[in-house]
Amino acid sequence: MKKIILLLLALNFVQIIFGAVGCSLNDPDRDVKRIFPNSTGYKTEYISIESRGGKELATKIEVQLHDVLNPKYEALSVDYSYYTILRGKEMIGRIHGVNQKGIFGGMQLILATDLDGKIIDFFIQKISSPHAKKFRNKEFTKQFIGLTIADFDLFHAQKEGKINKLISPSEKYNDDFKSIVRGLNKNLLLLKYFQFEKEISDKNRQ
Amino acid sequence: MRLLKIAYKNLKRKKIRSLLTIGGVSVAVAVLVSLLGFNSGYQLALNNDVDKMGYQVLVTAKGCPYEAATLMLKGGGGMRYMEENVYNRIVQDERIDQITPQLMTTVYNAGKEGGGGFTMYMGILDSYLVLKPWSKFESGSWFSSEDADEVIIGYEAAELEQREVGDMIFIPGKEQILKVVGIFERTGTQDDGVIFMPLKSTQRIFELPNQITGIGIKLKKLSDLMQFEEDLYDEASIQVISMAQVKGTIMGLISSAQILVTSVAIIAIFVAIVGVINTILMSVFERTQEIGVMKAIGASNLDIFQLIWYETIFICLIGGVLGSVMAVLAGNLVEYFVKALLPYAPAGKLIYIDAKLILSTQIGAVVLGLISGVYPAFRAANMRPIEAIRSGE
Repeated sequence: MKKIILLLLALNFVQIIFGAVGCSLNDPDRDVKRIFPNSTGYKTEYISIESRGGKELATKIEVQLHDVLNPKYEALSVDYSYYTILRGKEMIGRIHGVNQKGIFGGMQLILATDLDGKIIDFFIQKISSPHAKKFRNKEFTKQFIGLTIADFDLFHAQKEGKINKLISPSEKYNDDFKSIVRGLNKNLLLLKYFQFEKEISDKNRQ
Repeated sequence: MRLLKIAYKNLKRKKIRSLLTIGGVSVAVAVLVSLLGFNSGYQLALNNDVDKMGYQVLVTAKGCPYEAATLMLKGGGGMRYMEENVYNRIVQDERIDQITPQLMTTVYNAGKEGGGGFTMYMGILDSYLVLKPWSKFESGSWFSSEDADEVIIGYEAAELEQREVGDMIFIPGKEQILKVVGIFERTGTQDDGVIFMPLKSTQRIFELPNQITGIGIKLKKLSDLMQFEEDLYDEASIQVISMAQVKGTIMGLISSAQILVTSVAIIAIFVAIVGVINTILMSVFERTQEIGVMKAIGASNLDIFQLIWYETIFICLIGGVLGSVMAVLAGNLVEYFVKALLPYAPAGKLIYIDAKLILSTQIGAVVLGLISGVYPAFRAANMRPIEAIRSGE
C-alpha cells in the first residue's frame, strides 16, 4: 500500500517535474546514437543543486565559476538532465546540458563527456542570435573537444591554456561566446559535483 | 455494531478476492470522478480563458469564425488580416465602452525549445491594458513610443528565453533586434507565452502596413450586444464573433468526446457492479453451512440480510474512497495527457475535483453497494437452516 501511495504521489508531480527540468535533449534517442554509435542504451537522471548540497554546493560552484548563479534562471531547484550512456551494462559516457543566458535569449549547451569528464562532443541545441549559424558551426564547436574542468581552472588562474586559444566566431556578438564558455564551465562543474564526487563518496562508503 | 464487525471479518477472510473487488470499484469511481472533474474543470478553465480576453466581441477578417477565435485564444500561423480602417470606423460607435485593435503574427523559430516552433508576436495599443486590467508588470513598463523597437514579454516567454528588462531579443527571419522594456506578471492565460510589440512596429517589421488581425470590443451595456453584432454584419470583409458563441462552440466540440468517455465510465461502473455481486454471491455460496448454523442458533432473516448487505456496502465504500483518492492524486497526470490530446485546451486546471464532487461520489458508491447487495443478501436470508447445514454433506 505504501508503494502504491508513493507511486500515486509521484504521478501527481509528473507535470511539475516536466515543467521544471532545465535542459533536456530534444530527441535523446537520435542524439545518443549520433554521439555514441556503439551505445546500446541510456538512462536519464534529473539532478538539482538543491538535492546535492544546496546553498553550500552553489557557493562552491560560484567560487570555481568566478561568477554568481542567476537566482531566477539558475535557481538551486532547477533540475539538470544527465544521460548515462551504456553499452550493455557498461557505462561508456555521459551527455548533459545546461541553460545559459545569451544576448538574445536562453541558450541550451549540450556536452558529451567520457568517463573522465573530458569533452568528446559539444553542440548548441538552442540559440537566438543573428549569428546563430556561426555559433552552431562545427568549426567553432569542435574547438571545445578535449577540454576538461582543469582547463577552465587554468583559465581562471590566468595561466596560458587551451581556453585562451579558443576563437570566437563572432566579434560583434562576442558576449555570446563568453556566455558559452561560462555555460560549459558551469556544465563541467555540475558534472564534477553531481557525478564524480558522488562516485567517490559511494566508493568510500563501500 | 456486532453485525458490522462480523461483516468486516468476513471480508478479511478472503483478502485477495476482497481487494480485487475493491480495486475494480475504485477504478470505476476514479474514472467517474476524473470525468466529472473534467466536465466542470474544462468549463471553468474555458470561461476563465475567454473572460480574460477582456472583451465580449471579437471582430476578425472573414473566414471560419471559430478557427479565428481559436487562433486568438491559442495562437498559431495562418492568420487572416483586415484593414485598420475597419477599426477606425467601428471606434466611432457610441455603444462601445472599450476597444482595442491587435495584430497577431507568428514566426517559425528553428532554434526554439523542443526542436523548433512558432513564436507569437502581438502588436497592441495601450487600450489593450485597459481591456485587461489584470495584466500587471512584473518588471519594467510600457513602450517608450508608438513605433519603438521594443517588446513586453509574457511571463512564460520571458522565463523560457531568460529575458529581463533591458535585454535584447532577436526575431529570426526578420533580422530585427528589439529591446525588452517590460515583463508581465503571470496571468494564467495564453498571453503568458506572447511577445507584445507596439502595433505600428509590428506592422512595420512584419511588412503588414495598416493591417490588423482582430478588434476586441467591450460594450457599455451588455443588452446592446445582439443589436451591435447585427449592425456589424453589414460591414464587408469582416466577421463578428461573440465570446459567448465561442464558449458554446468549443463546449459543443468537447461534448462529443465527453459522451464517449461517459459511456466508458458507465460500462466501468456496470462491470464493477457485476464484480461486486459476483464476489458477494460466491462468498454466500461458500458460507452456506455457516449461514445455516447462524440461523439455527437464532439469527433472523433480517440479520443475515443485513450482514451480507454490510459486506457489499463495505466493499463499495472503501472502493469509493480509494477511487476518489486515486482521482485526486493522478489528476495532474490525467490532465497532462488530456491537454496533449485535446485540439484546444484552456490554460489552468482542466480537472476540478472539489469536496462536493467527492461527497456525491461517496454517496453514489454507497447506493451502488446497496443495489448490488440486494440479490446476494436476499439469497442468503432465504436459506432454510436445515438444507443449508446439510448442503456440505
